[in-house]
Amino acid sequence: MKYRVVSIEQNILRKNDALAQGLRARFAASGTLVVNLLSSPGSGKTTLLQETLARLSRRRRVGALVGDQATDNDARRLAASGAPVKQITTAAECRLDADMIGRALDGWEPGRLDALFIENVGNLICPAEYDLGEDLRIVLFSVTEGEDKPLKYPLAFNTAQLALITKIDIADAVGFDRDAANASIRHVNPGVSILETSARTGAGMDEWIAFVETLIDRKTAAREVSVR
Amino acid sequence: MHELSVALSMIEGIADSAARDGFERVLAVHVRVGALSGIAPEALRFSWKLASAGTLAEDSTLNIEDVPLVVFCERCGSERKPRPASGLICPECATACPIIVRGRDLQLVAVEVPE
Ligand SMILES: Nc1nc2c(ncn2[C@@H]2O[C@H](COP(=O)(O)OP(=O)(O)O)[C@@H](O)[C@H]2O)c(=O)[nH]1
Ligand SMILES: [Mg+2]
Ligand SMILES: [Zn+2]
Repeated sequence: MKYRVVSIEQNILRKNDALAQGLRARFAASGTLVVNLLSSPGSGKTTLLQETLARLSRRRRVGALVGDQATDNDARRLAASGAPVKQITTAAECRLDADMIGRALDGWEPGRLDALFIENVGNLICPAEYDLGEDLRIVLFSVTEGEDKPLKYPLAFNTAQLALITKIDIADAVGFDRDAANASIRHVNPGVSILETSARTGAGMDEWIAFVETLIDRKTAAREVSVR
Repeated sequence: MHELSVALSMIEGIADSAARDGFERVLAVHVRVGALSGIAPEALRFSWKLASAGTLAEDSTLNIEDVPLVVFCERCGSERKPRPASGLICPECATACPIIVRGRDLQLVAVEVPE
C-alpha cells in the first residue's frame, strides 16, 4: 500500500509533565513542600515516614499520600501519627503519576500543609520517569541492599537531591561498606546530599528532620514573597 | 511495567495528529525507547496490540528504535556509552558522568498512513 509519513515527534510522557507543572503551581501557591520518596520495596519508606510525621507534626502541618499496590497497611501505619494521610491504591501500576496525585488531592481536605510526603510505589525504575510536581526527590536504600545498587538504578539516584541510607543500626551486622556505597552514589550523582538514618534507633533522624525543616522554611518564605 | 499506559498515551498522541494532519488509519508507528526509560520493548509490543485494538491504529506495525545510554564525560570531553549495569561510568577513563545525554527517550516519532 502506498503510504506517507507524518512526523509527530512528541514525548509520550508530556501529559504527565504538564500535569506535574500544574501541581507544582498549586503547591507553590499554598507554600507546601512536596517530597517524593523512591526506593525498592522494604527499604524503609513507611517506617521513616512514621517517625518523620510523628516528629514534625508537633510543630508543622504535615501530611502524606501513600501509593500501594494492594493493601492499605502503610496508610494505616502512617495515620497512627495523627497526621492526615491518604492512600492511593495503584493496583497493577508500578509507580505514581501526576494524574493520580491530582485525583487524590481532589477528594481530600487536609487543610493547608507545610509539607506533603509522597510514598511512591516500591520500585526504582518506573517512578524515576514520573514527575509528581515535587520539590525534593529522595531515594532510599538500606544497608542490606548491596553497595552497588545506585549503579544498577542510575536514573533514580541521578534525579534525586538526597540519598538516604536507611537501617544504619544494622550496618555492622551485615558488613555494610560505607565508602563503597557513598562512592557508587556519587558516581551517578556527585552533587547529591547523603544522610544515614535509622528509624529504629533514631540515629541521623535529627539531621534528616532539620534538612526537611530548612526546606519547609524556604518554601513558606517563597510563598510569602509571592503573596505580597 | 507501565507499558500499557505508555501505549494508551501513544494512541492519544496519534489521535491528536490524525485530527491535525487528516488521516483515518495508521499502518505503522515509530517510537524511540531509551535504555533508561524503564520501558521493555517486548512488553511495549504486547501492550501496543491491546491498546490499539479497535482504534485507528489497529493492526499497525510498531517500530521501536532502541536508544542506548549516552553520557557526557567531562574528563574525555566527549560522549560515551557506559557498559551495561555500570551506572554512569565512562568506559574509557572510569570517571563518573552524571550528565545523561541520551537514554531517557520515550518519544512518539512518526506514523505511516495510507496515501
Ligand atoms: N533495623 C531496622 N529495620 C528497619 C528500619 N526501617 C525499617 N525497617 C524494617 O524494614 C522493613 C520494611 O520497612 P518499610 O518501612 O515497610 O519499607 P517500605 O516498603 O520501603 O515502606 C520492616 O520490617 C521495618 O521494620 C530501620 O531503621 N532499622
Ligand atoms: Mg511502604
Ligand atoms: Zn571519560
